[in-house]
Amino acid sequence: MSTVSWPNASTEAKEEITEGVAVLTYEELDTEKIMASVADDRAGATAVFIGTTRNSFEGKVVTRLDYQAYSKLAINTILNIIRTAHKQHSRSQHHAEGQIASSLIKCAVHHRLGTVPVGKPSIVIAVSSPHRKESFQACEFILEEVKMKAQIWKREFYEGEREDEAKWKANVTT
Amino acid sequence: MPEIKVLYFAAASTTAGLQEEHIPLPSEEPFPLSSLATLLSSRHPSRGLDKVLATSQWSVDAEMVDEPEKVFLAGGEEVAVICPVSGG
Repeated sequence: MSTVSWPNASTEAKEEITEGVAVLTYEELDTEKIMASVADDRAGATAVFIGTTRNSFEGKVVTRLDYQAYSKLAINTILNIIRTAHKQHSRSQHHAEGQIASSLIKCAVHHRLGTVPVGKPSIVIAVSSPHRKESFQACEFILEEVKMKAQIWKREFYEGEREDEAKWKANVTT
Repeated sequence: MPEIKVLYFAAASTTAGLQEEHIPLPSEEPFPLSSLATLLSSRHPSRGLDKVLATSQWSVDAEMVDEPEKVFLAGGEEVAVICPVSGG
């Protein structure tokens, strides 16, 4: 097994805003901990999405996936997605004075970097809100936006194929 | 000559065979970002980098560029090749 070197710009990163948190990490994702990080007494719902690495692609056996990111840009992209999710759910909401305008409470987006073995989470998104509908919607919106926009890349390795021929994936093919 | 730092990720990195490099700009004149693909491809010929760059976007100083034809590099910038992303 060759020594893997990750790009210098693919660093661990964590940035917190009032609307939530974005994390890029080489550590295994702790789903329980991520769920707990959006817990709030005002929440009646927490929607969680766990994306895990699949063991097959077009009949080939996938052995592992490598992730890398342009971290400082990817973190900002994810934070903007979280901000947008909050704004979308604060439109046409009429709250009594002194109450929060957004019907989302907190969003946590954690994405793995480095080698992720098959069956392990590569992304965990947790969204808390007073009612279920908003958290479901926001969770899906955030996932789709992250997949489309965040400057993160994965490379899929297949059984019986040369490592240097492993394919870099693209979520949207041009 | 003024210099820029170029970051390669994913397919751009495996195609160019490196993760980053410092590149001198051809002159003191502001260098059009729209000409950077040609400059980079000429530094790494016969590797197919031109094909990767054709499907990629640019970021300059960690901000995505929407209109490359309006961006000029003076030197000192961190430019990244942003291949089609595949997070999740």
